[in-house]
Amino acid sequence: MNTHPDSLYLRPLTVRDAVRMAGEHINDHRYLAGGTDLLVNRFQGNDATPCLIDLSGIEALHQVTVTDQWLRIGALVRLNDLMTDPTVLAEFPGLQLAAHAVGSPMIRRTATLGGNLLCENRCSFYNQSEWWRDAVGRCLKCDGDICIATGGRKACFSKLSSDTAPMLIALDAQVEVAVPGDTITMPVRDLYTGDGMAPFALPPAALVQAVLVPMGRGFRTAFRKLRRREAVDFSSLTTAVSVDAAGKVRIVVGAVDPGPVVVEGTTADDRAELILKAFKKARVIDNDTFPRTYRKEMITVFLERCFADIDATTNN
Amino acid sequence: MARIQLTINDREYDLLIGAHDMLSTVIREKAGLKGTKVGCSQGSCGACTVLVNDEPVLACVTPAMRCHQARITTIEGLALQGTPHLLQQKFVEKGAIQCGFCTPGMVLTALHHVEQEHDNSVDGIKEALSGNLCRCTGYKKIIEAVAEYAQEVASGSTVPAAEVPEGMVGTSRPYLEAARKAQGTATYADDLAPVNALHVRFLRSPHPHARILRIDTAAALALPGVRYVATGEELPTPFGVLPISQDETAMAIGKTRYIGEIVAAVAADTEAIANKACSLVEVDYEPIRSFLTMEDSLADTGEHEKIHAHTRGTNNVHKKAELRFGDQAKGLAEAEVVSRMDFTMEGVNHGFTEPHAASAYWDENGLTVTTATQVTHYLHRALAKVLELPLHRVRVIKPTVGGGFGGKSDPFPHEMIVAHLARRTGRPTRTCLSREEVFLTNHGRHPSRMTIQLGADRDGTLKVLDADIVIDGGAYGSFGVVTSYYNGVLLQAPYKLDNFGFVTRRVYTNKPQSGAMRGHGAVNSRFAVESLIDDISHRIGMDPVELRMKNFLDANTLTVGQYRITSNGSRESIQAVARSSGWSERRGNLPDGRGLGVGCGFFISGSALPIIRNDLPQSTVHLKVDFDGRVLITSGANDIGQGSDTMLAIIVGEVLGIDMERLFVLGADTLLTPVDLGSYSSRVTFMAGNAAKDAAEQLRAAIANAVAVRHDVPQAELVFAGARVHSNDRRVDLSWEEAIEALTAGRGAVSVSGKYISPKLGGDFKGAGAGLSPSYSFGACVAEVEVDPQTGHVKVLDVWGAHDCGKALNPLAVEGQLEGSWHMGIGQALSEEMRYHEGLLVNNNFLDYRIPTTLDTPTIHTHIIETMDPEGPFGAKECGEGALHPVIPAIANAIFNAVGVRVTKLPIHAEDVLALIKAKAAHNEPIPQRP
Repeated sequence: MNTHPDSLYLRPLTVRDAVRMAGEHINDHRYLAGGTDLLVNRFQGNDATPCLIDLSGIEALHQVTVTDQWLRIGALVRLNDLMTDPTVLAEFPGLQLAAHAVGSPMIRRTATLGGNLLCENRCSFYNQSEWWRDAVGRCLKCDGDICIATGGRKACFSKLSSDTAPMLIALDAQVEVAVPGDTITMPVRDLYTGDGMAPFALPPAALVQAVLVPMGRGFRTAFRKLRRREAVDFSSLTTAVSVDAAGKVRIVVGAVDPGPVVVEGTTADDRAELILKAFKKARVIDNDTFPRTYRKEMITVFLERCFADIDATTNN
Repeated sequence: MARIQLTINDREYDLLIGAHDMLSTVIREKAGLKGTKVGCSQGSCGACTVLVNDEPVLACVTPAMRCHQARITTIEGLALQGTPHLLQQKFVEKGAIQCGFCTPGMVLTALHHVEQEHDNSVDGIKEALSGNLCRCTGYKKIIEAVAEYAQEVASGSTVPAAEVPEGMVGTSRPYLEAARKAQGTATYADDLAPVNALHVRFLRSPHPHARILRIDTAAALALPGVRYVATGEELPTPFGVLPISQDETAMAIGKTRYIGEIVAAVAADTEAIANKACSLVEVDYEPIRSFLTMEDSLADTGEHEKIHAHTRGTNNVHKKAELRFGDQAKGLAEAEVVSRMDFTMEGVNHGFTEPHAASAYWDENGLTVTTATQVTHYLHRALAKVLELPLHRVRVIKPTVGGGFGGKSDPFPHEMIVAHLARRTGRPTRTCLSREEVFLTNHGRHPSRMTIQLGADRDGTLKVLDADIVIDGGAYGSFGVVTSYYNGVLLQAPYKLDNFGFVTRRVYTNKPQSGAMRGHGAVNSRFAVESLIDDISHRIGMDPVELRMKNFLDANTLTVGQYRITSNGSRESIQAVARSSGWSERRGNLPDGRGLGVGCGFFISGSALPIIRNDLPQSTVHLKVDFDGRVLITSGANDIGQGSDTMLAIIVGEVLGIDMERLFVLGADTLLTPVDLGSYSSRVTFMAGNAAKDAAEQLRAAIANAVAVRHDVPQAELVFAGARVHSNDRRVDLSWEEAIEALTAGRGAVSVSGKYISPKLGGDFKGAGAGLSPSYSFGACVAEVEVDPQTGHVKVLDVWGAHDCGKALNPLAVEGQLEGSWHMGIGQALSEEMRYHEGLLVNNNFLDYRIPTTLDTPTIHTHIIETMDPEGPFGAKECGEGALHPVIPAIANAIFNAVGVRVTKLPIHAEDVLALIKAKAAHNEPIPQRP
């Protein structure tokens, strides 16, 4: 456990204070949401920043509000609360499924939506103790020279591990990000760089404070997740598909690439073509309990099933 | 450091803590409340669950500072003025507690669910508990306890606890210590760490096979707070559980043999300092060629150095075990149908929820070690040997143990090291392994590969079995020589086979060592043989239940290898599961993708031969009764959550006609308790139970004699029942205390000693001793699965299990053992495996090593079969291991029934099932047996 003498634990009560604190510790802070991911990474020595800024005391980040335009979900809303939110249940059942797919009920009582969106990318060779990573010879993502999972490539293919991100991207959601002196809004999709080394496109001290899901778009959605057990496990493949009232189709695939794999089209397009695009885009490697080839193959099966799920909701 | 105020269980705390300390650390180490357990330190097991402002949270991943001024309820806070919470009572009454390590977290999670959520159906409860792992119970009794509590909360009326009838044997009752476990007051090894103990941490090898050229401990020693740094040469004496495999030292000497082997150990004031010091120890290694696969180790090593110099050949074969009866080549040539298949099984780990933990101190009595162990006796001997002490200067205490399953049945390096460091520093020492270290310590089931041929006639009569087996022992011996035999010999039943042979080669590899795990040695080969039987039934068109019925051995017979079979409930077992699963009506009439499969099992009920040849009984039990009438039972048997202390009390109570209140069990403390060999080979009920019965009968005779003399009544007239001793005509009718008064008059406290010695058994050939047991257990399972033909995903929907335990001394406990065994088998069948990358264990935690959650566990239907074993205590024999055997093949055979593919690899991965389905389609074979 970290008992570094310089350990700092800060607990701001406002977003403004949080961002200010981050500015004061610009190179050595981490924001802490629920912590179920970050803290385990810290125990394993993958994060040793001395200053933790725990956001859980910021009341504003826990709010869910609805307008005609947006469902606005505070970044610190716990996944368990999201799953039971009446607007989510009524308007965005796919988001309910995605939240429910994360971890276990115990995890979901602490883990937050913002935290899940920014859950660190995962790899069999990265999510290990310091001793283990020394023994295997340190990969790119932890100060080594090569990717061990691929046997020597010079890029990191750690996988996107958020289950809610694919669904939110399918729902064309935005994030509201507090930066020093300002608040900016950007598509959820733009949070992700697609680079396993530095998977998140956020400036220093930036704080994701809310997720905005557009209302009134008439989304029909489907969500599926591949894992060995029915609880606890991180995803080996997450698929989210949406079709809006205008006939716009969005396919988002997670856990098979350093970032979300997004394919857009319309209901007029050949579905098989869209699925094939997603299949081709995914940079799957052997860094998971399921072999690469199987995960790749399942992209097609899961997406076909997602479309079938959507057809079934339409026919009802 | 940071200051924090907390209210825990209505008491206010003002503490100075590390700014980044987790809540679990603060609760356990600062507030001293040890009821909160830590099983994984990463939020994957749920053992550490506490309520923060009435919400359950995982204390191991919750920063303590977040809880500043919060109200916290730990398991200790639920009972009101000493009265357990109703939910805790339900856990006790329903038998929802075995080892008890997951119980605090499970209770708190369940309590919140029932109070806050609306879905208290079984599915709702399963969902709610799916983040809390239990390795013992298979969740069935936990769900029952929660469901009944929920029903009572909803209805406002209490379902009274089933009245426990007066009798002892055959009456369901909770474990003696269940209430303590439910309330978090049972103390496990790490809870008992001595005050002022130094923390011991280990430096582990990053190389699978490497010479150690130099170790420099100077920088580590210079770190403030470091009290000692030890290296291998200080403890040069080898040890191992088997006398023939003394091949391990406490720390590596000269070279390391697996990634994770201990190279140096530090004792320091805090865990953090000890960890830091480990990183400062400098070691120069010279890697040498490593042997990571069974093929590597079977092959000639050429110019490369063998893993162990003592092995005979020029390869890394540790043991070759071979026995043959009849002529297999001839049998196979003559058999009308022969099924031959190659099988591969990955290694699996016990996954007990309590990590290894131990502490040590020295005083005027010599060395005392308190440790989570199944084998106090063998550890006693090993500590004396390695620390070069007379046996009478070593005391080993077994506290409450959070599960073992064979994983705590060896003497371990960390136990030697804490003792050594306590001696060197003059301070008590403690250590608790991380979950990663537990996996590296391993001793789990051997990875195996085997080719087995089974021949039969077209009428279904089994004629011949020949098995060629290789098992991967990892770096050291452990129980491996026994495992080598068990893989083969335990195939000679439950079916009559006149022509039977096997050869097993156990190889050393540069990986964490394999050892004994629940169902020891025979689980993998049983899966193989039951799959072959299924194949033969399919090929000759005979119902697999019928085929098995035709081939079962009878009771009171000898096997081909001269095992003496006494009681035998094979037929009753398979009939029970066939009946309750609707086998004959439903099989063949299920929807697409669904299938039913059956498998059987066979296991020893205690090894008839002790590990260390000597003339001591295998178990000795002492009883002492003094003026107060309480009977103290002392036994070296290790209760590790399987309920053996309760079993001893039941047997003594039955003989003496007294209730639990008058019985006290003191277990497994080598200073105070007579020798029992330990909890392995499913021996305790049979052997310690018989020793307890012997002792109780002696005590009864002594009491009868005293009463007869004092009250002038023939001894034969006396009845012991209902805590009274009376003559048949009730002319003499004494309370228990009056009878004890007669016994102790002029004599004082009376002690008696009972024993169990196995009868002489077995044949007169080399290897005849392997698998000998005074009795054997039998069983059967039917599984129903659903297979997704597009993904290969297998879901087990139901398991019907039956097990012949001779006589259920405590049916509630027997059910718990069976359900836990089936659950563990489901894990090995579908989701559990130890995966390596170049000798480095990849999935060394409870996130990636996948023990089935509530949601992965099917509905389990439990049948106890009783056959009244002639030599078991009151007819009892084992129930804790053998039940695991049939469930894995039942699942595999159900997959065949569902989609027509034969799976020969464990675990059964979706990707493999899918590949088989596709291969079958490519051959244009229609999926046969479409139910």
